Amino acid sequence: MRLGVLLVTCIPLLTPMSGCLTETIDDNAIGVESDDKVLTIVTYDIYGLTSERISEFTNQTGIAVEMIKLGDAGAVLNHLLQTKDAPQADLALGLDNTYLQQAIDRMVLQEHGANVSNIMDSAWAPYNGSMAVPFDQGSICLNYDETSINASQGRDVPTSLWDLTSDAWKGKVAIPSPVTSSPGRAFMIATTDYFANDDDQNTDWSDWWSAMQDNDVIITSGWTEAYETHYTGGYGVWNDDHVGDANFVVSYCHSPGVEAYWGDNYTISTSLTLDRASFHQVEYATIVNGTKNAEYANLFIEYLLSEEVNLDMPIENSMYSVLRDSELPEDNGYRYHSDLASLNAQVTPKQIADNMDSWLAAWEAALA
Amino acid sequence: MACSLGGCTGLKRRSENIEVAIPFLIFSALVIIPLLLALDRLIYVSGKMPWQVFSSLDEHYLSQGAIGFTFTQALLSTVLTLIIGIPIAWQLGRYNWPKIRLIRALLTLPFVTPAIVAAMGFMAILGSDGLDIRGDKSTYLVSLLFAHAWFNIALVIRFVDPVISNIDPSMEEQLRLLPAGNSLQGRIRWFWFPLMYPSVLCAAVLTFVFSFTSFAMVRWMIPRNATLETVMADVGGAAGIVDYQIFSNELVLASSTIQFIVLIVALWLLSVLQAKRNQTIAEVSESYSRKRSRIGWMILTPALVFCLSPLLAVVRASLRIAERGPVSSHRWTLDGWKSAIGGDYAYISILDALQNSLGYALLTLVIALPLGWSLSSGIHMLEKRNSYWAKPLDVLTMLPLAISGIMLGLGILLGIIRISTVFFTFWWMPAVPHIMIATPFVVRLLLPAMRRQDPLLIENAQMLAMNRWQILTQIRIPLLRGPLIVAGIIAIAMSMGEFGASWILVRTGAWDTLPVLVDQMMSRPGFDPLVKPAAMAAASLLMITTLILFLLAERFRPDGDGGMF
Repeated sequence: MRLGVLLVTCIPLLTPMSGCLTETIDDNAIGVESDDKVLTIVTYDIYGLTSERISEFTNQTGIAVEMIKLGDAGAVLNHLLQTKDAPQADLALGLDNTYLQQAIDRMVLQEHGANVSNIMDSAWAPYNGSMAVPFDQGSICLNYDETSINASQGRDVPTSLWDLTSDAWKGKVAIPSPVTSSPGRAFMIATTDYFANDDDQNTDWSDWWSAMQDNDVIITSGWTEAYETHYTGGYGVWNDDHVGDANFVVSYCHSPGVEAYWGDNYTISTSLTLDRASFHQVEYATIVNGTKNAEYANLFIEYLLSEEVNLDMPIENSMYSVLRDSELPEDNGYRYHSDLASLNAQVTPKQIADNMDSWLAAWEAALA
Repeated sequence: MACSLGGCTGLKRRSENIEVAIPFLIFSALVIIPLLLALDRLIYVSGKMPWQVFSSLDEHYLSQGAIGFTFTQALLSTVLTLIIGIPIAWQLGRYNWPKIRLIRALLTLPFVTPAIVAAMGFMAILGSDGLDIRGDKSTYLVSLLFAHAWFNIALVIRFVDPVISNIDPSMEEQLRLLPAGNSLQGRIRWFWFPLMYPSVLCAAVLTFVFSFTSFAMVRWMIPRNATLETVMADVGGAAGIVDYQIFSNELVLASSTIQFIVLIVALWLLSVLQAKRNQTIAEVSESYSRKRSRIGWMILTPALVFCLSPLLAVVRASLRIAERGPVSSHRWTLDGWKSAIGGDYAYISILDALQNSLGYALLTLVIALPLGWSLSSGIHMLEKRNSYWAKPLDVLTMLPLAISGIMLGLGILLGIIRISTVFFTFWWMPAVPHIMIATPFVVRLLLPAMRRQDPLLIENAQMLAMNRWQILTQIRIPLLRGPLIVAGIIAIAMSMGEFGASWILVRTGAWDTLPVLVDQMMSRPGFDPLVKPAAMAAASLLMITTLILFLLAERFRPDGDGGMF
């Protein structure tokens, strides 16, 4: 009798697992119409690519899409390197200009053949070759909580990164680690250029990081932890895991605009736009070297760069579109609260690839 | 007669040896080979042997202090778990309680609750819509310790309660008549301590191991402290690639070696303690009527509140949404559930993820249950022969229990890279760590039950000329039906909740399991206020499914079950 009860209870629980037990990898793809035409995309969580968007692509082209999802841009590069001898994907989405050159140097990418003439010049600025197509962009910089500024208590808006090493901001700055986070890596790169071009010839960028370490800088493993858990000026204050011990955080210069858009035109966050203390990040669609489905990948790149998809990047993916003449939406103060970087750090992908290992080692040494 | 008696015995022995060897070979292939391949890959890429890389943990910023913090929090978690768990086990074992099966099930439920759900539950209690103490950094460590205690008190109950509940009350009465037993101190020293310490230490060792390798709790609850497990998770993705981020390989090699040494020592200790524990259980193998406790509710009521609060908090959080603005507030809504079911914040909906989780759980069941049965039978057979192989093989089956999810996932990942990356395309690949994790639970549940079986039954069946298949299907399986069903359901529950290895290993979005989906949704930037309630809805679904399975398992658990889980 008991066994009967168990079976009756288990059968409804177990019957719906139609999915994985009978499927081959191709059947897992989103879009069911096609038999052989399958495009495999490796990407981090790009939120603009909803299942509806992908279904639209399948309906338009007859090509089904399978997603291999990873944590961030660094994880995408790791995957490409790990599977270099037997690539699992046809298209990689999300490598940015801090990782791109390494991918090119290690020959995990091949030239694309997509027709993409509608991309604005600034998106081609970091890299304008044929191995990668920009699909979104933004500038990474420090954001701060406007309510934390109090001149009478010595907490003025910083005019130099050195100001953040003062007692007034002790333990009040959260930065994702460049070892484990793409925005963290981009900000570290910006600091190399910022301090190479400041007036002080006696100190360099690693001295600033050492001083920040002495000033109890909060280093986190990723952007989410820095922004949500520690930052007092963002949406994280409504989250259960919020700690709220940092008034400054590394994010995007337009993050205050995103805050306002989702917060009914309300935000207390703004950006610190110091010359060369920001980094222009461009994210790329790249074709995996050795793929037999380059044609499908090119079609997907064109779809990604179509107006219907790319103009939605600010809402769906919280990033700027790369299309010519595109603007951030004005709804709920999105554009009004989005700050523009005054002058981004001038570091090329080649310089980044050549120096990244030594920069990371120097960064670790500065904080150790 | 076709053979002499000695010859037949020799043949029988040989066939038995093969019968024992095959499941152990399969199990070793599943568990040991990926780890060895991973080790080989890490040594090859880093160019260093394990003992040459320990210092790298302190040389790198992201892993500084990880060794000390891992040991400290595991030790403190163990102490707190015992402080909370022993009085509960005492009350359950010593006194008569109405609905004791249900109470016991609810108090041990946290152990099968997926760690990521538990972490979400604790965050909901501590966060802005709860106690609102996350702003105070001094609460982090204490919160983590309580979360680990919450997770592990089931171990104390499962190990200690059966010992206490099966004690003949007259034994203690008799002791009171002796000089050594006329004081409470004397009775503790001469009676209770010798009886209970192996069980308490068994629970302590396992609690230490689970706290040592805890991942989801640490990842979400301690923002600034790294453990060896989180270090491996942070840098493991870049390991195994030639000439690329070599330090990642060093950190993973160092962390996993330290973990492995600690785990081997812990498992050996556990094996020794369990042997002692089995002796004490054997001495007190009957159930006796027990008294009612008048004040025991003062312990059990807060214990039940403690165990259920994080779970209820998850459900509550799935129904609450933040109203953002100058004055913050929360309101009740079903929108989180609607978004989660609609798949708005992930590639697949929570129902698809549940389907995947159940699929992998069934696959786990189909492989782990027969494998666990064969391993248990093999160990039991060797024990009956007094073979010196019995104990090492017993320890071997516990190995995946102690190896952390991240270590398992990395082992398989690096193993795949070492053999062929085509394995990444096999849909069944994510089930491999589930099988590795579930099999030890099956063994821990079946082996004690096999030991308790009367050997005369089998001997009588042999005398009646029943063949081995008949003995298996007509005697052994029917007699072990209860433990088998419990083991099967626990295997499903373990698979459903597995997170660490899946987090490392799951590659294709369409294969996402519920725990992976919960983490993805929680990690997503939450500018949209619906993201978190949707994640909590996914966590609630996972929790409710596990809860149903576990309560079902409890219905089939034999009385006075001395098994571990």
